Amino acid sequence: MNMLLNVQDLHVGYGHVAVIQGISINIPEGGFVAIVGSNGSGKSTLLRALSGLLKPTAGSIVFGGLLISGETPSKIVRSGLLHVAEGRRLFKNQSVKDNLDLGLWGLRLSTVEVAARYDRVYSLFPVLHERRDVRAGILSGGQQQMLALGQALMQQPRLLMLDEPSLGLAPAIIDQLFDAVVSLRQEGTTILLVEQMVERALQIADTAYVMQNGLIIGKGPAAELQGSELVRNAYLGSFEDTH
Amino acid sequence: MYSAKELETSDTLMFFDILVSGLTAGSLYCLVAVSFNILYQPTKVFNFAQGDLVMLGSMGSALLLTQWNWPWWVALLAVMVAVGVLTLVEEWMAVAPVLSRHSHGTGWIITTLAVAMIISNVVGKVWGVEPIVVPAPLPLSNDMLNLEGINISSYQIALILLTLALVFGVDWLYHSLWGKAALAVAEDRDAALLRGIDPAAISRWSFAFGGAFAALTGYLASPVLSASTTLGGILLLKGFAAAAIGGLGSTRGALAAGYMLGVAEAACSVWLSPGYHNTVILILVLSVLLVRPGGLVSSLEARTV
Amino acid sequence: MALVLLPLLFNGQFILFMATQALVMMLVAIGLNLLTGYAGQVSIGHGALVGLGAYTTALLMKDLQWSFWLSALAGIFVACGTGLIMALPALRLSTWYFALVTLTFAQVVTDLLVEWRSLTHGFSGVVGIPAPSLNGHILSPVQVYLTLVVCVVLVFLATRQLVNSRFGRGMVAARDNPLAASASGVSLWRIKLLAFAMSAGIAGLAGAFYAVQKTVITPEDFSTDFSIFFLLCIVVGGQGKLLGPVVGTLAFFLLPELLGPLQSWRLLIYGVLLLILMLFAPQGLMGLPFFKRWQKRVIVDVDIQFDSAISLKPVKNLDLTIKDLHKHFDGVKALQGCSLFVKAGRIHALIGPNGSGKTTTLNAISGFIRPDSGQVMIGTTDVSSLSPYQVAQHGVGRTFQTPKLLGDMSVLDNVRLGGFMNEHATAFEVVLNLPRVRSDDLASKVQALELLKFVGLSSRAEELAGELPHGQQRLVEIARALAGRPALLLLDEPAAGLSMSELDRLAELIEAISKHGTAVLIVEHHLGLIARISQSVTVFDRGQVLAEGSVKEVFKNPEVARAYMGREGTGDSM
Repeated sequence: MNMLLNVQDLHVGYGHVAVIQGISINIPEGGFVAIVGSNGSGKSTLLRALSGLLKPTAGSIVFGGLLISGETPSKIVRSGLLHVAEGRRLFKNQSVKDNLDLGLWGLRLSTVEVAARYDRVYSLFPVLHERRDVRAGILSGGQQQMLALGQALMQQPRLLMLDEPSLGLAPAIIDQLFDAVVSLRQEGTTILLVEQMVERALQIADTAYVMQNGLIIGKGPAAELQGSELVRNAYLGSFEDTH
Repeated sequence: MYSAKELETSDTLMFFDILVSGLTAGSLYCLVAVSFNILYQPTKVFNFAQGDLVMLGSMGSALLLTQWNWPWWVALLAVMVAVGVLTLVEEWMAVAPVLSRHSHGTGWIITTLAVAMIISNVVGKVWGVEPIVVPAPLPLSNDMLNLEGINISSYQIALILLTLALVFGVDWLYHSLWGKAALAVAEDRDAALLRGIDPAAISRWSFAFGGAFAALTGYLASPVLSASTTLGGILLLKGFAAAAIGGLGSTRGALAAGYMLGVAEAACSVWLSPGYHNTVILILVLSVLLVRPGGLVSSLEARTV
Repeated sequence: MALVLLPLLFNGQFILFMATQALVMMLVAIGLNLLTGYAGQVSIGHGALVGLGAYTTALLMKDLQWSFWLSALAGIFVACGTGLIMALPALRLSTWYFALVTLTFAQVVTDLLVEWRSLTHGFSGVVGIPAPSLNGHILSPVQVYLTLVVCVVLVFLATRQLVNSRFGRGMVAARDNPLAASASGVSLWRIKLLAFAMSAGIAGLAGAFYAVQKTVITPEDFSTDFSIFFLLCIVVGGQGKLLGPVVGTLAFFLLPELLGPLQSWRLLIYGVLLLILMLFAPQGLMGLPFFKRWQKRVIVDVDIQFDSAISLKPVKNLDLTIKDLHKHFDGVKALQGCSLFVKAGRIHALIGPNGSGKTTTLNAISGFIRPDSGQVMIGTTDVSSLSPYQVAQHGVGRTFQTPKLLGDMSVLDNVRLGGFMNEHATAFEVVLNLPRVRSDDLASKVQALELLKFVGLSSRAEELAGELPHGQQRLVEIARALAGRPALLLLDEPAAGLSMSELDRLAELIEAISKHGTAVLIVEHHLGLIARISQSVTVFDRGQVLAEGSVKEVFKNPEVARAYMGREGTGDSM
């Protein structure tokens, strides 16, 4: 099986603080991998290192056969690795359509292609089409998350990385969102999902990695990890010892 | 001594004189403010050398037109390109290094101020302090026409109309993908990075564009203000006032504020004395900013530049 | 000292004249360094302030025959007062706005000096300004020079006093880390005003000497270029260093001599120099190794044992009550009616998944965010509409997710910053070095040392805070928060990035803090730490209180597990 993303012994830190202390991850082409762990485990930092916002201090990241560790974010985007950041980092002062337009930055496409991409996003999230002239800042949380996802989709990513898309959203919206992600996966996009809502993530992913304190403490098929001791301990276990 | 009717007419005439004068000057202030805004958006840097860039456009084109008799459009193009390149150099030398050291620092205040000093002194050394009188490009002229009793020159009419066109043109430009990218970088640099936008490249382009726009403003200003090396300092203050009062980043704001300043100045010249211009500006700036720190058109508006 | 008397050895009118000029400039530079170097507010208008002082002195002496001393005093007041009219509103704006306002102000002053001809003699200026006299005896140029020397020395000492006091720390904090400053009870606006007022008064005094030395002053003398000279002096010498303006002015005065034939290109060269310095030597001359040795090192020489229990006790024991807080940002409902209670002396934890509103709550309590509705009561006072420094003054100390320390200041001074509001000497008293100042200073040093001992970092008191590893920076920040002797201590994710042993230390520390009577509210993800130290817990989820009670109760609650791990919504949540 083709490894689309291959991360070897990655170390990432900010200033004095070592956040990620030696992680290795493999994501196959067409796969759906979840990374779970409690806050402070380094999940977001990992994504930021993968998308180029942070430079790793050691280790390598190979995407589609190319070494991308240390590359600029725009190069990484162009190679097909897209990161939908935590907290839905949209351009709130601009309209929905403007945000989607910006998703096309750096691409040279025919008008037909462009229309096709818009179609894809609008059919996945009809509400974005309805509200396309609305300023992104006044959309609801769920709609903003959909827009953030749509923005990334305009580039037709080979690997789509999602950082805690469920943050602050109501359960019904989370369902909608995860349904959309699953259908994207079925269309052939490889997905890397970072989530705090571990059970939901494990339900839809193929395989999962469990992170704690900047290290991988477990990995395996998602189905096996559901409800496991390992996962429980990673989140809630530490205090049970002290009781 | 004068009949009521004569007094009334002379008051009306004065009113229109103030209006014409105010709108003309105001148009120029608006354009200077817009050139500030263009640079400011993606970088959050307020270029203290901007006034002198306008001066360069003005002096440069004045020299080319009067000394070497170049056709007007060639002179315009030449100064726009030259100043645009110079502004790029400024960004590379005086702004980027300071920003990379402390992204929230204000060392650029002093470095761009230094650039202003350098530019104005070089020009001063090369040319001296004599102003150059530049005629309006044909078929326009500076001769006063009398339309329904209002005194206005064809150049002034053209200038006011052109300013409106330019302001809407710049607004339209910021609706392009490049413009949206610049606004995106201004709003959230990291998010822009994640969408493949290179903030450094956008900043450079903005500087070049802002510089060229400043040169254009200088070119347009010379028939009205006379090109001279002292123009830089004056326009820095008035351009700042217009940009700040209008709301940094807003073209509509720059327009409104520019007119407001121009008319206030003209009125001040009539009723007080030209020596109070800057005092009026200072009072206006402080009063508006204290009530609305974001300027007249606060940045809650959707479309800005 | 020798340098000062040097010019007297040369029997030249010219050298004395130059030396007097240099000292006048140095005076202004010392003041400007306070405002721009220490407090970080660039001013391009100090030339105008000098002009105001000069004109006031000149006109009073010439037209009203006042003595030099009274005229100079008037000059100081006029410069300071007029400057304040501009600065009071302008300092509320962001830094670079202030710079442009000072530029405009300078232009206005020059304009008005010309415009008010009847008062100021317009363009031709004031001519024939008499020399100062004392007891009927007219001072010779040498005597004027010596008087000036005395003034410069006094101003330098006064500035040094201020810089080494809590006001100096407050200014540097306002410049480098306004959040840390506000959280320590420093009013940013007031501290900048203080720096401005002093620098303006000093400029006015310099103007007085300028007037009597030159005997002729015109509006052109005080142009923008003049203001930029002072900036150049402090940039050359080194901004934010005591000796910077001294060294810088001397260097600046040597320049024309070195330039020789290029004299007419002076201004251009100054511009180039300014640019080059800012790019390649931003620390100025004082940044060179040769000069670094001259800088004062923090010497910790105190070993009087104070009662540490007093240093750690809150000024007052108060409870925290939050009632029904609401806050929304741009369509997102961050807080939807949250309530919370922490009794004095107890440790209360606030936990919940990402985005549940924990940090928003901390920010609302400490004043960095204003809630849409609801109350935040410290004791019986509602602080929900107060600004951060006011909330701090009501007895709230806090730490931040990433430690906000002043990297270029010593660890000891960083901790002392926290005690800002508990020192009571006014700036006036500080400048005069009255006894109360010295006892305040000693008490603050001792308290800071005790606190550093408490967190285990007393060996690092003299090091620069920026050089400490993350875990220790976190501890310094806690010590700073404690220096304010807060009734309520807010800790924002203190465990992040700490090693196991550092976590142990942190737990012990927090427990010890609460034993002294401080109420502690800790936002944390590290559930192990929470379980170990908290007496009660509130769980947030999506802006609302999900559960609260003792640690045992809360963690056994299945709702809590669900919120954290998202077991809900398996198809039945529509």
